[in-house]
Amino acid sequence: MQENILLETRDLRKAFGGLIAVDGVSVKVAQGSMHSIIGPNGAGKTTFFNLLTGNHAATSGNVLYKGQDITHLPLHRRAHLGIGRSFQITNIFPNLTVLENVRLAAQALGGDNYRLFRRADSFQRYIQRARQVIDLVGLNAETLLPATVLPHGGKRKLELAILLASDPELLLLDEPTAGMASEQVPELIQTIDRVRRQGGKTIIMVEHNMSVVMGVSDRITVMNQGRLLAEGTPAEIAANKTVQSVYLGELYGDLNEAAGGSHGV
Amino acid sequence: MLRRTLASNWFYVVLMIALIVLPHAIGWVSGDSPFGVRGRPVGQSIYWQGILIEVFVLAVLAMSYNLVFGFTGVISFGHALFFGVGGYILGIVLEYTDLTGEVGLLIGIGLTLIVSAVLGLVIGLVTLRLRGVYFAMFTLAVAEMFYIFFSRLALTRAEDGFALTELPVWIDPTRSRLTFYYIALALLAVTFLFIRRLIFSPTGAVLLAVRENEERARTIGFDTLRFKLLAITVAGMIASLAGLIQVILNKKVGPEVLNVSNTIDPLLMTIIGGAGTFTGPVIGAAGLHLGDRLLRDLVIEVGGASIDIGANWALILGIVFILVVLVFPYGIVGTFRRWRTRQAK
Ligand SMILES: Nc1ncnc2c1ncn2[C@@H]1O[C@H](COP(=O)(O)OP(=O)(O)OP(=O)(O)O)[C@@H](O)[C@H]1O
Ligand SMILES: [Mg+2]
Repeated sequence: MQENILLETRDLRKAFGGLIAVDGVSVKVAQGSMHSIIGPNGAGKTTFFNLLTGNHAATSGNVLYKGQDITHLPLHRRAHLGIGRSFQITNIFPNLTVLENVRLAAQALGGDNYRLFRRADSFQRYIQRARQVIDLVGLNAETLLPATVLPHGGKRKLELAILLASDPELLLLDEPTAGMASEQVPELIQTIDRVRRQGGKTIIMVEHNMSVVMGVSDRITVMNQGRLLAEGTPAEIAANKTVQSVYLGELYGDLNEAAGGSHGV
Repeated sequence: MLRRTLASNWFYVVLMIALIVLPHAIGWVSGDSPFGVRGRPVGQSIYWQGILIEVFVLAVLAMSYNLVFGFTGVISFGHALFFGVGGYILGIVLEYTDLTGEVGLLIGIGLTLIVSAVLGLVIGLVTLRLRGVYFAMFTLAVAEMFYIFFSRLALTRAEDGFALTELPVWIDPTRSRLTFYYIALALLAVTFLFIRRLIFSPTGAVLLAVRENEERARTIGFDTLRFKLLAITVAGMIASLAGLIQVILNKKVGPEVLNVSNTIDPLLMTIIGGAGTFTGPVIGAAGLHLGDRLLRDLVIEVGGASIDIGANWALILGIVFILVVLVFPYGIVGTFRRWRTRQAK
């Protein structure tokens, strides 16, 4: 069966001075798949995301999206192509309401950004879209609160809502459950998986919670010290001896200790 | 619809009516005609009209600064450039061309708007890629450069500047001050309404997003450079109109309109009144300027020692500024609004 490749990187590298955070990574992500990236702290996962979205410029190598080379495309143009992301460290508009945070994301790609003399709240479609997404992540009760007063779990939900509001084709999720109470994790993951199945989305997810990763992923890429260590189905990765020694053993240990399964920054 | 609008904005409506009748009220109380005496600009009403025109000018300047600083989160130290450019262009048009009267005035206003827009775009394009403090420093350098050039260039009459003698009678502040007062008041009102409209529009929503978190705004698809450019350009055009009113009031334009104080004053007025609020800059401008005017000649006697308020005005202003920042961290309007929201909960 020939899979449709939505996103591909070729020998992607990023150096911060002498530190090589991403070191020659080549991956292919199939359309409609859930592709997880795992690896110990500092492996370069977030940096890899930053290269895909354009938050950082690649030192060398290429990023291809739907066959088009987007390596040097600015951040906002990639958003217009259908690439959206959430951040590991919550990255919201702190003094705006929850609704306005999400409404902005819904407005961003809608083509009405330069309507200087109409009220933003007269564009009902963006407000409706925002309310729909807020409902989906379960933040209804907090709609009119300033984002900054939300508890940590609420901010994580908002982070996801901002991503979902613009309805991207490719969703990059950087540790969506980081710091969340463990009882909230399954619900969030189910929401994400439902979005993918219903919308035919492609998801690349960085996640430390192993039970989550093993349960929902179609493929898993393992990174270590900027390099690609292994890639395969969850079963293949679980059976991979190198991965076990470098990473899995250590993390499963962590997982048993920290009952939350959450992961610090 | 109209009734609802008026009802929800009663404060502004009342204030506007008060400002419209004020010159007549002062004239009635003091017995000095608001039109001056036999065409000469004398009397209490005329005096206060002049001071209020200065307040309106500063309020418009501060509102334009607030658009960039308070709503978009961009700190520019070059705002005086736009303020000064307005006056100089009118001066050059009246001095070097045969255009006088209404035609000269209209062409001066048109050119002012065009030149300040072009300056805003060019300076923005060159400097907005710089981050935070570097951007602020660069804008300061550009504005200072213009100040130095204009105060030395023969074309701009160096330190002397131009006297604006060929203004139409109906706008001439020595002959028709009351008309000019209403023109300045109209500019204040229009600027206020314009900025409010802009901020409530989809475009304004993006400006706030840039202020709150530019990286996130870019990540969800906004070309934030364009929006910052728009804010700087629009604010520059508004500031240039404020500069025009100022030089017409003085009937003179010289390098002082480009002085860095025309950046610092609106900055202080915005912070004291409340950055990112609609009324804050207006309240800040009125408070600081009226305070300056009323207290300038005041000398208080404290147990034999006399303190000259006017001579120590800068010091007093400094203390007021420190107090405001400590007591009202979000400015007067901003802090009040937060307090009221908390009361409501
Ligand atoms: N902006 C930056 N400047 C300099 N070094 C950076 C920068 N961002 C990341 N690094 C470094 O690059 C390496 C990879 O960091 P990165 O955040 O990509 O790791 P990660 O796999 O996401 O780790 P974690 O699991 O802790 O989130 C680290 O050594 C980090 O210190
Ligand atoms: Mg990371």
